[in-house]
Amino acid sequence: MSYLPCGTYFESYGADHQWWRTSFIKGKMVLMLVVMAVFPYLVDPQWLSVAYTVNYYILAALGVQLLIGYCGQITLGHAAFVAVGAYCSAYMMLPQHFPWPQWIVDAGLAYPISMVCAGILAGLWSVLFGLPSARVKGFYLIMTTMAAQWITVPLVITQYVAQIGGRGQAFSLPEGTFRIGPVLIDSDTKIYYLSAILVCLCLLAMGNILRSRLGRAWIAIRDNDIAAETMGVNIVAYKLYAFFVSGFFAGIAGAFYISTLSFISPEHYEWFFSLLWVGIILIGGVGSIQGIVFGSVFVVMVFKLLEMGVMWSSGALMDSYPALGWITTKIIFFKEAAFGLAIIFFLTYEPNGISYRYWQLKNYFNLWPFSYTGK
Amino acid sequence: MSEVILEAKNIFLSFHGVSALTNVSFEVRRGEIFSIIGPNGAGKTCMMNCVNGLYHPKQGQIFFKGTDITNFSPHRRAGLGLSRTFQKIELFGGMTVLDNIRLGRHMQLRSGIVGSAVYWGKTKREEIESRRFIEEEIIDLLEIEAIRNEVTGMLPYGLQKRVELARALALQPELILLDEPLAGLNLEETEDMARFIVDVNEDERWKITCVLVEHDMGVVMDLSDRVMALNFGVKIADGTPAEIQENPEVIKAYLGDVEDLYVSRR
Ligand SMILES: Nc1ncnc2c1ncn2[C@@H]1O[C@H](COP(=O)(O)OP(=O)(O)OP(=O)(O)O)[C@@H](O)[C@H]1O
Ligand SMILES: [Mg+2]
Repeated sequence: MSYLPCGTYFESYGADHQWWRTSFIKGKMVLMLVVMAVFPYLVDPQWLSVAYTVNYYILAALGVQLLIGYCGQITLGHAAFVAVGAYCSAYMMLPQHFPWPQWIVDAGLAYPISMVCAGILAGLWSVLFGLPSARVKGFYLIMTTMAAQWITVPLVITQYVAQIGGRGQAFSLPEGTFRIGPVLIDSDTKIYYLSAILVCLCLLAMGNILRSRLGRAWIAIRDNDIAAETMGVNIVAYKLYAFFVSGFFAGIAGAFYISTLSFISPEHYEWFFSLLWVGIILIGGVGSIQGIVFGSVFVVMVFKLLEMGVMWSSGALMDSYPALGWITTKIIFFKEAAFGLAIIFFLTYEPNGISYRYWQLKNYFNLWPFSYTGK
Repeated sequence: MSEVILEAKNIFLSFHGVSALTNVSFEVRRGEIFSIIGPNGAGKTCMMNCVNGLYHPKQGQIFFKGTDITNFSPHRRAGLGLSRTFQKIELFGGMTVLDNIRLGRHMQLRSGIVGSAVYWGKTKREEIESRRFIEEEIIDLLEIEAIRNEVTGMLPYGLQKRVELARALALQPELILLDEPLAGLNLEETEDMARFIVDVNEDERWKITCVLVEHDMGVVMDLSDRVMALNFGVKIADGTPAEIQENPEVIKAYLGDVEDLYVSRR
């Protein structure tokens, strides 16, 4: 009866430590991978950009989830680290700035290498702003992480980094820049596949970290830092590891996202995004990996549906009442308002996020033939 | 007599000018159960916190296995083999029992960031080996098989105390500080817990030296090899349980002067 996980027993510790422990779960995960793989062939091309935006948000919110949900260090400046990753990778991709040996360019390794470097640089940058966490907690830490945003994006990036080469703010990325091995990343489908692979790898890495020494130490710091320290966890060091890994994921996210852009500008990393990613984990569920996915899908879909609704209704409006066209310019702002309302709704009615409902649903089906109410 | 494993020399500790410990010195020998007793607010928990590194004494030194650990941080002391439980339970409420105990093995594990992210080879082997140790040595000993996958925040008090002991044991310490392990337990749980303490103290595989803070005099006198009594942060006596029971200072600290007793009876 392998499709009902409630009747499965393991005979070795190894079997109990597996990622996918029952054939039911294995089947489910394989199905998910297959759906991800054939997704571009199933849908209208406009949904591809939605899908890779979801993946971008997952990558970026992953670090936020790590810090807030697993290590208890509240951060409100994550867009800064994404920006650092994006600019690092962008500079390394442009031949006038970074003379790669020809064979690396030919082998298509420049982009992957720049991605890893972007992760490491963003991680270190994040550690720099994580240093105050050794001394301050909670509210005060929020302020210092906000400083990361204000110092990095408007000051360092806009005033200095973006000026390199006398370009001013926007900074173009010519077509054909992004190549991984023999594959040129030039279409939405390829961008989608790149994002999907990165999401799978990063979620896998995150899941693995959380079930080993490092992740347990983070959760212990979140739950009770004094007890963690008496059990031998060097709190300061582990908080900084958390900032590093979170910044690393942010760097990867930034380095990935430039492949979808034709130019890169500080406007892509405004403070709004830092808040958005915190909102995503609040909506999806704090302290849950699935929560990141649910939250990102939810937020991106809400934006997309609103946009479609606005497009449609403003079109209809213009056709029938051209004099009321000014309303359409106002409706654009509904996007942010809807996000705000969603956060209020979730904090009030679903404080545990979507992932909690998912968990309930899963438990219901696990006990399905003999489900009982009352709990 | 065996060697001295823990030594506190002339410890002074005060909070905003109010002194909590005044010139307290004691020695704990390897393999014994050493108890600290005293009325409420006597400074027993403060003494534990000084040994453990959560409080820093204003004066005085602490030696563990011959090393001066006075200025060590708590996690370095844990690395030397010093573990503890808390008077007010300090578990990781959001983690399962198994994960709480696994965290206790933090110092025994080695994998770093990359190893953890890949979870292959060394990391995996080390996690499985650690799991085996936890299941076979700790969970089995403390009889908590049934709750290993429960979230600790939801457990009843007596079991939480037991999980805390399990987590402290996972460190494989040489010395363990037990701050009121029996407080709030019912008779059956008290007997179980006392048995676990004796087990880890006497079992060849553990041989853990215990420093016990406890109000239950029956248990203290039964289990301890030596007892130290504190009152208002001052050490008033130390010796074998029999000596302590006879000591007039201790009797006075617990019962007050005979005249006081007479007055309060009226
Ligand atoms: N962090 C602190 N700040 C201020 N005063 C403290 C602090 N910790 C302890 N004290 C004081 O030090 C004294 C000793 O406290 P301690 O907790 O060590 O007593 P105890 O012997 O463990 O008592 P109990 O049996 O009630 O646990 C008390 O008067 C207490 O108020
Ligand atoms: Mg106490």
